[in-house]
Amino acid sequence: MPGPSLGELTRLIFRVSNTTFGGGYITMAALKRELVNEHEWITDEDYALTFALARITPGTNIIAFCAGVGSIIRGVAGAFAAATASTVPAAVMAVVLMEMFDSWQNNRWMSGALGAALAAACGMLWAVVITIVRPAFVNGRAAVRAIVLVGAAFATSWFLGWTPVPIIFGAAAIGYFWTGE
Amino acid sequence: MNFFVLYFLFLKATFTSFSGLASLPMVRDDFVVERHMLTDRELNIAVAAGRTTPGPYGTYLAGVGYKAGGVPGAVAAILAVMTPAFLIIPLLKWAGKYANDRRIRGAIQGVLLSSAGLLITASIPLARDAITGWLALAFVVVSFALLTFTRVDSSWVMVGVLGAGVASKLFV
Repeated sequence: MPGPSLGELTRLIFRVSNTTFGGGYITMAALKRELVNEHEWITDEDYALTFALARITPGTNIIAFCAGVGSIIRGVAGAFAAATASTVPAAVMAVVLMEMFDSWQNNRWMSGALGAALAAACGMLWAVVITIVRPAFVNGRAAVRAIVLVGAAFATSWFLGWTPVPIIFGAAAIGYFWTGE
Repeated sequence: MNFFVLYFLFLKATFTSFSGLASLPMVRDDFVVERHMLTDRELNIAVAAGRTTPGPYGTYLAGVGYKAGGVPGAVAAILAVMTPAFLIIPLLKWAGKYANDRRIRGAIQGVLLSSAGLLITASIPLARDAITGWLALAFVVVSFALLTFTRVDSSWVMVGVLGAGVASKLFV
């Protein structure tokens, strides 16, 4: 089957990544259905490799994933189109919503909604912490390593006032040598 | 602030994180603590807005950029969110074999786990600002529990919470 045009690729990435709720992994699964099974624009092997590499690419995994499949299908232009289609609409929506939330601060009714949203955002941040930490608890040794790394990052930043950069690079070095496997 | 300075500040945050919200501690350190361009409340509003929309969670940075530098700030943030993604092109060409290397995975897991610890630190001032009473605390607990123990999407949690927040004004 011939590959899609840049427009077709952009439209598909735009539609799936901006309408799928549930985060990066759900979106990647939805894209697999479209890209591999329905349209056959990439192979199962392409998908698996892009999925694995997106996880080791810095930044937001799903954007790297979209750039990766875009580059396989239409080269550098495809990567740029796919990354743009997956990022810009959601970013614009985030700015519009933020301005809306901000304007609610002095409105009696909507200030209630804003206060609730800010509180919920804190709960969501702590849920993200659990999401990050949970996969590391595969066995006792890995759990100890996870607790040490999370605890050390918290302690050095909260009690010692270290900035994030040395903590992140230190954790990368520790993780490289202490793999927990 | 200069467009390029903003871009590089955001880039520093996105290049040293491996998931959408993991950039938050670096962003808070640069924009709230060091440069006072945003308050904790404004940062929390950007996070809340980012979690209400579908799409990548990292796009909350566009809101931070907009607050810090208007439309050019938002553009700088969006470009910085997208930039690290292009590293996957050379990775696909040359580094496929490293994707499952245990030391590489160990290093990335180290970064992720440290970002969890940093996220706890960054969330404490945001929580101090947001938890203004028992009702706010209830919203924290409910959103945490729903996202941790069920498969409900954060956008729907946020929509429900917004409605409950308006309704709470009927009684308070």
